[in-house]
Amino acid sequence: MLVEKVKVMIVDDSKVSRAILANHLSKTNFEVVAMAKDAAEALKLYHECSPDIVTMDMNLPDADGIECSRRIRAADPEAKIVMISAMRDGNLIARGKEVGIGAFLQKPVSTNAIIDSLMMLCQKKVSRVAMLRESYVKIFANSLKQGIFEMIAVKVEPVIEHYDKKYLDVDGIAVIVGLTGSPSGRAIFYMSKDTMKNFSKKMLSSEDLSDDEIQDAVEEAANIIMGHGVSNVNDVFKDKELRITPPGTICGAGIRVASPKLTTFKLTAPTNFGDICVNVGFAEGD
Amino acid sequence: MDAKLVNPFIDAFMAVMPQIGFPTPTRKKVFLQDRNIVSNGVVVMVGFTKQMRGNVVYNMKEDVAKFVASTMMMGMPVAEFDAMAQSAICELSNMLSANSATNLTKMGLEVDISTPNLTIGQGLSVKISDSQYLTIEMDLGGHSVDIAIAVDRNN
Repeated sequence: MLVEKVKVMIVDDSKVSRAILANHLSKTNFEVVAMAKDAAEALKLYHECSPDIVTMDMNLPDADGIECSRRIRAADPEAKIVMISAMRDGNLIARGKEVGIGAFLQKPVSTNAIIDSLMMLCQKKVSRVAMLRESYVKIFANSLKQGIFEMIAVKVEPVIEHYDKKYLDVDGIAVIVGLTGSPSGRAIFYMSKDTMKNFSKKMLSSEDLSDDEIQDAVEEAANIIMGHGVSNVNDVFKDKELRITPPGTICGAGIRVASPKLTTFKLTAPTNFGDICVNVGFAEGD
Repeated sequence: MDAKLVNPFIDAFMAVMPQIGFPTPTRKKVFLQDRNIVSNGVVVMVGFTKQMRGNVVYNMKEDVAKFVASTMMMGMPVAEFDAMAQSAICELSNMLSANSATNLTKMGLEVDISTPNLTIGQGLSVKISDSQYLTIEMDLGGHSVDIAIAVDRNN
């Protein structure tokens, strides 16, 4: 997690909006160092306070948020800006990206959404692993927990760990779902041979299942859990457009998955019939 | 599946391989499959989304993967299929998928590609589709690479 306070400047013409945002951030390691009500004041305070990150409203009395961002970025090309506005459409995002705005949120924003966006933008302060864990992996862990409960009525508390081994070794089944969008990557839903049998029996409420039915059940579970994970990520980050590819399912003993150039995490959901796991990896450089 | 969607992948393979030091590949067999793929040793899976969804799998023996990695690394000997060789194979899969995606765009299909997923293990069963899909056996200077293509337009 954050060690050092990250300095934030809020640019918004509404006193109420500024107060709400400041209130959100007061619960976190972000420190509001400046608040500006218009573009001119934003530029002046940016020079004076050198914030790590700027939140930008679209409607300002003397210039719009995009123009204000353009001016700030002209003065400091490294400036990190997140736009928080009532309106949020493709045109606005396209114009915003052109001037270097890094993230877009729609009012009202939740504390989580604002923190996630700010953390994502200030990677110089927060390590990539921490950022991915906070922003994405926790969401997938929650989807794993919910999915398992909905499908087999078992309560689990998934454990998240940064997975830095060279290989993922599986004896049983590994359902691989590609992630496209930003960041791209892949998620692997996997379990041992015995666990997959017991899992599918519970899921389909049947004792007599063929190998194909067992495989299909696990594949469907993976599809549901990953699908929810991606939807939930997209709910928080409106501009990520994360999508899942159709699943590819590998069965057998001695499955070894190599993940060069991926930052990966292992989610383990322990049950009384074995661990149900997800290994989620994100491409470096996204 | 739509057979027209296969050519962008073959074209990509034919175009990319010679650019990175391989002899021009030749197409050997093309066949419809409805059973699972059986891994020859090294399987790389790439997923597609947006206007076309599905998976493409490059399936080869470990010896072939080592040959491919070695050729990509300017003939550097590859004794073990180690991290560097695996990285080379993933990089190649990325190039092939990106090139295929460009070819698909020319057909009016906007697609997005996942990161390649490399699995090692012989005889593993790999399921990429619930229905029939095409496999193309490509010859690369005497080495065989199977490309299994299970994709469909996403309407």
